[in-house]
Order: sequence, then structure tokens, then C-alpha cells
Amino acid sequence: MADITLLHLAVRRLVGMAAVMLIVVSIVFIIVRIAPGDPAAVMLGPEATGADVAALRTAWGLDRPLAVQYLAYLGQLARGDLGRSIFLDRPVLTALQERAEPTLLLSLIAIAIALAIALPTGIAAALQPGSAFDQTVMALCMGAASLPTFWLGLVLIELFAVRWGLLPASGYDAPGASILYRLEHLILPATTLGLASAALVTRYTRAGMLDVLREDYVRTARAKGLGERRVVLRHALTTAALPILTVVGLTIAALVSGAVVTETVFGLPGVGSLVISAVLRRDYPLIQGALLVVAMLYVLINFAIDMLCLVLDPRLRT
Amino acid sequence: MGITRRGLGGVALATILEASTARAAVGVLNVATIGEPPTLDPMLSTADLVGTITQHMHETLYTFGTNWAPTPLLAAALPDISADGTVYTIPLRRDVKFNDGTPMGVDDVLASLQRWMGNATRGRQTGRSIAGIAAAGDSAIRITLTEPYAPLVSLLAFNNSAAIITPAGRQGGPVGTGPYQLREHKPDQYLQLVRNPYYTPLAGPSQFYGGARRPLLDEIRFIPVPDPDTRVAGALTGQFDYIDNLSPEAFPRLDASRTARPVVLKPYGWPVLAMNTKQGPLADIALRRAIQTALSPEDMMIAAFGSAQFGEPAGPMYPPGFPWHSDKGVVRYGEANPEKAAAQAKAAGYAGAKIRLLATRQYEFHYKIAQVAVEYLKLAGFNIELQIADWATLTQRRTDPALWEIYVTSSPFLPEPALNGYMLEDSPGWWATERKRAAVRAFNREGDAGRRAALFADIQTLIYDEAPIFKVGNFNSLAARSTRLQGFNPAPWPFFWNATLAA
Repeated sequence: MADITLLHLAVRRLVGMAAVMLIVVSIVFIIVRIAPGDPAAVMLGPEATGADVAALRTAWGLDRPLAVQYLAYLGQLARGDLGRSIFLDRPVLTALQERAEPTLLLSLIAIAIALAIALPTGIAAALQPGSAFDQTVMALCMGAASLPTFWLGLVLIELFAVRWGLLPASGYDAPGASILYRLEHLILPATTLGLASAALVTRYTRAGMLDVLREDYVRTARAKGLGERRVVLRHALTTAALPILTVVGLTIAALVSGAVVTETVFGLPGVGSLVISAVLRRDYPLIQGALLVVAMLYVLINFAIDMLCLVLDPRLRT
Repeated sequence: MGITRRGLGGVALATILEASTARAAVGVLNVATIGEPPTLDPMLSTADLVGTITQHMHETLYTFGTNWAPTPLLAAALPDISADGTVYTIPLRRDVKFNDGTPMGVDDVLASLQRWMGNATRGRQTGRSIAGIAAAGDSAIRITLTEPYAPLVSLLAFNNSAAIITPAGRQGGPVGTGPYQLREHKPDQYLQLVRNPYYTPLAGPSQFYGGARRPLLDEIRFIPVPDPDTRVAGALTGQFDYIDNLSPEAFPRLDASRTARPVVLKPYGWPVLAMNTKQGPLADIALRRAIQTALSPEDMMIAAFGSAQFGEPAGPMYPPGFPWHSDKGVVRYGEANPEKAAAQAKAAGYAGAKIRLLATRQYEFHYKIAQVAVEYLKLAGFNIELQIADWATLTQRRTDPALWEIYVTSSPFLPEPALNGYMLEDSPGWWATERKRAAVRAFNREGDAGRRAALFADIQTLIYDEAPIFKVGNFNSLAARSTRLQGFNPAPWPFFWNATLAA
């Protein structure tokens, strides 16, 4: 019975997801097309005349009515084709696949750094609420969350690349480079993002743990004579994991889709920088395809977290 | 004591450091660029970055030698020009091969020039004066003009919107005659060029873009680094060997560096306010003159570049050192007199019509110039509205005369005046008067270099008299090079043949 309820909820969420995606596709298409700017003018450069630009627009089919272009785009999507990037001269899906590696690695390393800092710090702070340690941690979290990531990135570059020569300032890949070469280029950007995310996750961990540690069953566990380590990690953290998991999931989604500033500062060829350059050039197919994929990623991650929460907490199924 | 690589232990870190040394291999030049080129077909685009990169892969019949004089590249000699100036016979080199090993022939040149005239902005501009192009034997071509057109050789020599020669059946592809060829392109990561094994350099010394082009480096890698601060950091760490397009604020750090040296190209270019002469209030020449009177080029240049080291006011359209330099006709430049301008505008019947000034923040100096211009024009009583847009939007809007009155742009000093937008009638601004038409026609018809310079001075006089544009000043560019880079000759579109890297 419980499995049927879960399946029913999953199907309902999936139908909702499909509707959300259609709305996203339509809004993105309309915004991209009505925004000023023209890929033909960007391609042809500053000395191009209006006639040159108009000729190229015609060649690309951009002079057709918007409705015609929209229907053609929907038909294309129905065939599983996200289109072809104007400037990269390759299928949008291929371009996104090429950029997935740095973004995913960056996100995973950043979230690993964030969790490595946030979980022990948040738990320790919750165990000593109001102490000097707790207040220091909260102040540091507030400071870290307030720092613009581009500034933090530039400071790390200045220290670790320029001053101490330990790590490269920017880039990701080179001809014949190994995975180690690429990982080396991810250390500073992942640290930048990880520190920013750690601040958020620490606060959620502390808050979640504080709530749970006040529960009767935790008091009972302690009264039964269980060790503090077992009480905290086995009993309290398991329950506090739900809100932490939610914020970690959303953080991963935000990192995958929104590490734009960090990718730009560190010259990382990820999905975020791809979207930015596509917007600056008005690479319509690429903007549409990238936003569609990112939206889908968000929706899927949300779906996965919802399902996970339903599995972990049966009360949510009612 | 600072931390050094030597001071660090640990197997993992050592492995990482080993991996990082791969990028320092001698003979591999890493060039940090401002971004990804919009295309690798230099015929299609007039963007400087496209020309900078692709000039290593593709070549033109002519190029620019010492003092910007056109000099043969794929052509065997300068053209033989008929007495009436309408027939150009261009002999071709017989020793040129494409990077796939096939020899360059007349058919390839004819197909390439036809494509240029059909697809390239500058090719279409030139094509209006061309009656026909045909083979003249098996190693020469003949271009017949409808009337004398002296800029032809310069237009054939320019590296953006370029008349590159590619194989007849494979136009627009990566196969070219340049000293380097494309090995791999990962957009937004790197563009890797390696030596063209079939390249035969011209004999003799190198002469700026002309003469012998020797591919001494094993590889050139163009790496997009969009963030300007990160480019500076890459220069200071030695990660890159040449770093393009830096902000003047980076100069002191580069000057103090032991790994990088600043490269100041003086003079590099000129910022300009282009005015809409076709439609709206500034179609009135008297109002354009009032704007000339109001503006302060000195304040605009200081705001934009910080000091005279990187930018200074200068009225002549070309700086000293160019054959086109002249002081003739420079009037109302630097008056910076809003009160007088207000009186001029009032006399012209100006009743407060909105003046829309377009600028972008993607080029910060454009924006700063716009800000100063706006304040001076307000003081002169103009109803000015500053509209900020990204460059893609600006380049689109400026093609519609209903959408703007002034826009800010800039350009390097182009070797031939005919390459400048203000010389054309369909360039945004649409300056098209009978006097201009006659002056430009006389300039384009004249073949003698000395007389052409005098005729360009007449055009400059006309520019100041009819005020289609307001030239703000001359600015210098800042780049950086590694101390290991040798044999590098600074140029507006930097090139790396003949350059080497010290071990």
C-alpha cells in the first residue's frame, strides 16, 4: 500500500514537471527573442553594415515570424533535437555535454568541501549553543555568506597563484592534459564555491541539530546511557538530515547551474560560463537549450529530493 | 619567507605539480585572449580577435609591411596597374601550398575573391568597384575595375573581413596557407595551432606583417580568459606568455613583475562618438557642430584612461607616424564650451528634442566617455538620455536610425582610411553628402601616395565641418608578455610567427 502511494505521488510530480518544462520552454523562447541584440551583428563584427546583418539574419531564418520560429522549435524539441549553436557550430547537446565535466566536478568538489566543513562545525556549534565557539562559527558563517564569490575568488588567485605560485590562476584543459591537470585547476574555484556553500549548510546543520537535540527521544536516549557520540550521530543527525539534505540538494542544483561568476573568474569552461557567453552573443539555440537543460536538472533534483524525503519520512506521504 | 613549490611535500601534490609543468613546455606559446572568437572564418567577421587568431592560419594576397605599406604575401609582387588605374594584374607565387599539401592555384584565388565579394563586409564594399576578376595565365589574376579604386590593395591586405585564399572546393574551412594550422579547438578552452608542414616563408627579413613569416614556435594556444583581473594574474604567474587587452590599472603591477613585461602599443586606436546624420535632431548639421563645441575631449580621455600614458586628446584622424596624419581642418575640437554650444543649438532652433546616446559597459572606457559627454551636453542644454546596453544590443540598435542619435565606439588606427566606417555611406551614422561623396571619390581614385595623403586631409576637413563623428582622442593599448617571449613585434593584431620562447 505504501509503495502504491509513493508511486502515485511520483506520477503526480512527474506530470507537474512536464507542465513546468513546457512553460519554461515557452518563456525562455519568448524572452530570448524579444530581448534586444542580434547574433548576426555579433558574428559580423563592429564594421558590418545593416545590410550585411540583415542578409545573415535571413540566411539563418531569423527574419521569419516569431510564431513560425516557435512552432519550428517545438517540433525540433519533440524530435529530441535542442538545435545547433550558432557560434560553436555544433549541436547544443554536444556543447552542453562538453561543459558538463568541469561543472559537475566543480560542484561535487565544492559540495564535498562544504560538507566537510559544515557538518562537523554545525554539529559542534549546536552542541554548545551560545558558547564563544558557537557565536564565532555563526559570525564566520555570516561573513562567508556575505562575501561576493568573485571577490573571494580573486583573493584566492592573488594568494595561491600570484603570491605563492602554488596553483594555476585560471583555465581547465590543455591539449593532452591529464585528469590531474584538470583537477589542479579546480582546487581554487571549488574552494571558493565550497566556502560560500559551507556557510549556508553550517547554519542549517546547526539549526536542525538544535531542534532535534531538544526532542524527548534524544533525552531518552541519553537517559538510557547511550554514549554522546551515538546519540548525536545515530539518533539526532538522522532526523536532522532531512532539512540538511534539502539544502544540500538545492545547493548542488545552484552550483551546477549557477556557478557562473566563479567559472568566469577562473576561466572554467563550464555550463555557467557557456550560458553567459551564449547570452552575450545572442546564441539563441544555445541559450534556449542550456536553460532548458538547467531547468530540467533543477526539476529532477527537486523531484529526487522529494522522493528521498518521502522514503525517509513516511509521515510526508499523507 | 614565502611558501614555494620546493617547500611543499606530499606525493599527491608533487604529482599535481608535475602535471602542471606540462604547460610550460618550451615552444608552446600560451596566449590569453579576451574571449572566444565568434567565428574562425575571417572573411565573415570584422572582429579584431578573429583577425588576430586566423592570420596565423590564413593568408591574403597582400599584407602590411613597414610603415603600413602594402607588401606581397601570396602575390608574387605588387600589382601591375594599367595607366588608367582600372586594371590590376596580380602575379601569384608558385611555391605556395595549403596545409593539406595541395598547391595554391589561380582557381583557388578566383573562388576566394568571389566569395569575399559576396560574403565579406569589406569584400562587398570593394565589389562595388569591381567589374570582373579573371585568370591571367596560370599564375596571375586580373581585376578589372569600373573606375580607379586606389584602396584595393589595402583591402586585399587587411586581416579581418579578409580576402583569405582557401581551396576552391573547400571555401570557408580551416585549410589555409598560413604558417600555422588548426590542430584542435575546444570552444572557451583553447584553440591549438601547430606548424603548417607545407609552409614556405618568403625570403629575406620580416617586415612587420610582411616579409618572412617563420613558424618558430611548435604550437600556439589561444586561451579565452574573459575576466580582466584573471588575465593579469595569469601574466604575473607566468601561466600565459602573451596576455591581450589589459586595463591601464594593471600597468604598475606588470611593470614591477619579474615574470611579465607590459606591452604598450602607442598609439593604438581612437574612441569616437558617431552621430546619426540620417534621421532625428542630429540630421541637422548645426546641432552636430554645437555638440562638437560642447564636448571636452580632455576630460573624456582622462575619465576613460586615467592618465596621458594611455590616452590623450588629439583631433587629427590619424596620429603622427601615419602618412595620413595632418592637422588640416581640425576646428571646434577641444573647445569644451557648453555655453557657446547652447547658443549655437538655440540659433539652430533646438527645442529640447531627446538625444539618445548609446554606450556599452562591456568596454568600460566607452561608458566613461559617455558619462562625461552626457554631463557636458546637459550643460549645453541638450535633453540627453544615456542608454546603456550590452555590445550585442548596441550593434543591433545602431543599424536602425530611428533608435539613436549618438553612440560610442572605438577602432584601432586602420592602415588605410578607406577601411574606416565613416568613409562609407551605409555604415551606421549614414554620412552621405555631396561634398563627402566627391571628396571620398577623389581620394579613392587617386593612385599617388602623396596626393592621397593631401586628399585625405580634405576629408578630415570635411569631417570637422560636417561633424558626422566626434573623434575623442588617441589611446594606447596595454598587453603583457612573458619575459621568455622573444622576437615578438608589438602590433594592433598581435602575431607570433618569428617569435620564440627562451628555455
